[in-house]
Amino acid sequence: MIKINNLVKSYGSLVALDHLNLEIKEGEIFGLLGPNGSGKTTAISCMLALLKYEKGTVEIMGEKMAPDNYKVKQQIGIVLQNVAVFDELTVYENIDYFCGLYVKEKGRRKELVEEAIHFVGLEEYVKIRPKKLSGGLLRRLNIACGIAHKPRLIILDEPTVAVDPQSRNRILEGIQELNRQGSTIIYTSHYMEEVEQICTRIAIMDHGRSIAVGTTEELKSMIKTGETVTIEAAVLEKEQIQAVRNLPHVFDVKYESQVLTVRCTGAKHNLVRILNYLQDENISFGRVFSELPTLNDVFLEITGKELRD
Amino acid sequence: MTVFKGYLKIIKQNAPIILLYVGIFFFITLMIQAATKQSMDGTYQAESMKIGFVDEDGGTLAMGLHEYLEKYHQVIPMENDKKVLQENLFYGNIQYIVKIPAGFEEKCLKQDEKLSVTKIPGSYTSFYIDQQINSFLNSAKTYDAAGYTVEETVKAVNGKEEPKVTMLDEGGNGGVTPGYNYYYRFIPYMMINVLCYVLGSILSSFHKADIRKRMQASAVSVQRQNLEALLAAFLFGLFLWGISIAGGFALHGSEFMKSGSMLYYMLNALIMLVVALAMSYLVGMLTNNINALNGIVNTLSLGMGFLCGVFVPMEMLGKGVRTVAQFLPVYWYEKSNDLLAEFGTVTGSIRVEIFQAFGIQLVFAVAILCVAMVVGRRQRLGS
Repeated sequence: MIKINNLVKSYGSLVALDHLNLEIKEGEIFGLLGPNGSGKTTAISCMLALLKYEKGTVEIMGEKMAPDNYKVKQQIGIVLQNVAVFDELTVYENIDYFCGLYVKEKGRRKELVEEAIHFVGLEEYVKIRPKKLSGGLLRRLNIACGIAHKPRLIILDEPTVAVDPQSRNRILEGIQELNRQGSTIIYTSHYMEEVEQICTRIAIMDHGRSIAVGTTEELKSMIKTGETVTIEAAVLEKEQIQAVRNLPHVFDVKYESQVLTVRCTGAKHNLVRILNYLQDENISFGRVFSELPTLNDVFLEITGKELRD
Repeated sequence: MTVFKGYLKIIKQNAPIILLYVGIFFFITLMIQAATKQSMDGTYQAESMKIGFVDEDGGTLAMGLHEYLEKYHQVIPMENDKKVLQENLFYGNIQYIVKIPAGFEEKCLKQDEKLSVTKIPGSYTSFYIDQQINSFLNSAKTYDAAGYTVEETVKAVNGKEEPKVTMLDEGGNGGVTPGYNYYYRFIPYMMINVLCYVLGSILSSFHKADIRKRMQASAVSVQRQNLEALLAAFLFGLFLWGISIAGGFALHGSEFMKSGSMLYYMLNALIMLVVALAMSYLVGMLTNNINALNGIVNTLSLGMGFLCGVFVPMEMLGKGVRTVAQFLPVYWYEKSNDLLAEFGTVTGSIRVEIFQAFGIQLVFAVAILCVAMVVGRRQRLGS
């Protein structure tokens, strides 16, 4: 569906995309995950030929993407990071307007607009102007404006920023439903939980590069961390911390603010071994957590920094 | 035609503000016209003064002068009391004092003695009465020299027919500014206000970075979007122009249609519309904040209104103001309008001057449009 080869885009001396390579297959929900400023939005703008780039190629649906390739644009829907609707038009008129940029036939457009309204659950608000909608409802309207013409490819750029949990779940379910209906989705976000929840494949971006690509499992299997154990312990001596570090399969130990964080490789019984040691040493401890690796761990191991830095 | 229809829908949302400005425009125009109808503009009327008349002679010639002055002024007989006369002059009860000495006929007609008068120094009204008294006495002397008796002299001088005053009419309007000229004078205020506010707010919505991105990513070419937007803006402008013209016909129908300069007025307003459209495009580019837009529109419309002769006639503006105003398009609209007021029949060099003013307005429109395009390009690159 999309092939991006060696894409380079700079803003003055700042390199926003540094030889970016991506391949997205039809039917995927493809996640672009990265911290703010990692180049996700620039990548989307270059894909849509909204920005000129210095080097590289973008192919969509087998055709080179260009500002005047309206045949390809006809099959793309975009939902931008900020709500892009007209304050002067009602909910219905906004969706109808943006759908009208793709669908000329009035009867067909009416059907599509009504379907989109139903899809995002805005039936009660069709005659309301955007200024009177809550943040969550506005986001839903923003999505409806982008998907009403039933595009083959939908690009969503951080569509859940500043959205309440209820609306967020509805949006995420909606995206999965669009995918089931046959649309390929590109979803950019810096919320790893969302990306993990809905994306079939993920590219992790940093400094304009794709640093890792694969399914969630594939990404997690790329790193050393198999389990992270966190224990609240009031007092721990240096020797005791070193002893924990020497336990089998433990490769990283941190003790900060009375919380012991132990990273282990994927072997079994890590938690039991650590707790046994603490009991043997008569070290009192409080709550205990055991977590499987997250995308944040993947990002942390590859870049040495947190995803939310 | 999605973009075109979108524009029209948003314009429809602004109907109340359009009606408000059009209403204000008609209200101001009617008020100004009502006020100017009562003024003396373009007409002539002789001034009437209060004259204190002290008659110590009581003869026929003195009575004759009294009668003569009474034709033009209010003549108040008074006693020869210096203090009372000075007081009345000081408090403005009278503006001029004529003292007729005893033996007036002998002294003034035969001995050529000057008549004693008291007046406010340097006032044009005193000069005016001086002239009238001199005129009476010179005529009396002429008749006396010709052998007329005093009674015959007085009868002849007072029976003389007064010259009729006719206003110099170089332009063909009979020296009178026609009512529709006042009406057309205010059109730039309405056009700049309504177009800049309504189209400015629509354009600022369309130029929001994210909406522009969404539009650019759509299946409709940018050229087509611009063309449809331009068409909608021009259609709205034409509608406004139509209202203005229709208003002119409604208020001054037959008078306006009979005037030979009707088409020039309409063309001038049409060119002003093009200027206002260009201005609205620039204003829409400059801001997408409705309060800022309000401020910019008011500054533009009122500023140009005061500097360029919309609210205050241009001849009342100082030379410096007029020099500055030449760098604003409304000045050239008002200049054409003033020429049309002055010359009812447009011919030769006046036509050239009017067309020059039209041309300068169009050059302003193109220049403003170029600035707007540069601003737009900078914004696109910036985002």
